Amino acid sequence: MNRKCTLLLAVLAAAFAVSASAAEGGDAQAGQSKAAMCQGCHGIDGYRMAYPEVYRVPRLGGQHPAYLVKALQAYKGGARSNATMRAIAAHLSDKDMADLAAYYGTASTVTATAK
Amino acid sequence: MKRTTIAICVLAAGFAANAADMEAGKKKAAEICAACHGPDGNSATADFPRIAGQHPDYLAKALRDYKTGARKDPVMSGFAAPLTRQDIENLTAYFSAQPGLKHKY
Repeated sequence: MNRKCTLLLAVLAAAFAVSASAAEGGDAQAGQSKAAMCQGCHGIDGYRMAYPEVYRVPRLGGQHPAYLVKALQAYKGGARSNATMRAIAAHLSDKDMADLAAYYGTASTVTATAK
Repeated sequence: MKRTTIAICVLAAGFAANAADMEAGKKKAAEICAACHGPDGNSATADFPRIAGQHPDYLAKALRDYKTGARKDPVMSGFAAPLTRQDIENLTAYFSAQPGLKHKY
């Protein structure tokens, strides 16, 4: 009985671990290597969009990864309109989005050399 | 000289009128934003974005876009609709000053 319980718990724990990582989804290291196209704007603190409105591009460090994926999907699908973001998101796969979201979702840089 | 003083006073008054009122922002945030975004803008779940530490002008643009319908979200359009320019100024000043999001290279 005890053994069965332990086994069941182990299976449940494994299932939870898998679903938790699936929810987070991405690989932050892979995301870092894909972030070059983001950094031209989001990598410069205080960088401003100049057209058609002037405002600073959002800070992404520490944002919920699932929210970042949702935003990228919305740009790709056209539910959110921003010419630059739409053009960039159009070329991202689901995996790319998950990886980028995992990278930006952690507030600190992944490696010391990231700077 | 007197004219200059008057001009400065007028400018100062104009500036004061536009200045954000952090306390008013905090109060309004507690009333309408906190339930989803958290009292300081660090939302508890990924359903709602973290807005603590976000640039105030970006937050203001988002609110204006929800107001005009340029950005669509059934929940946010309802909350943004009644906000005045001063409300937006106050709220975005408050949330941007809270520790949360960080610039990341």
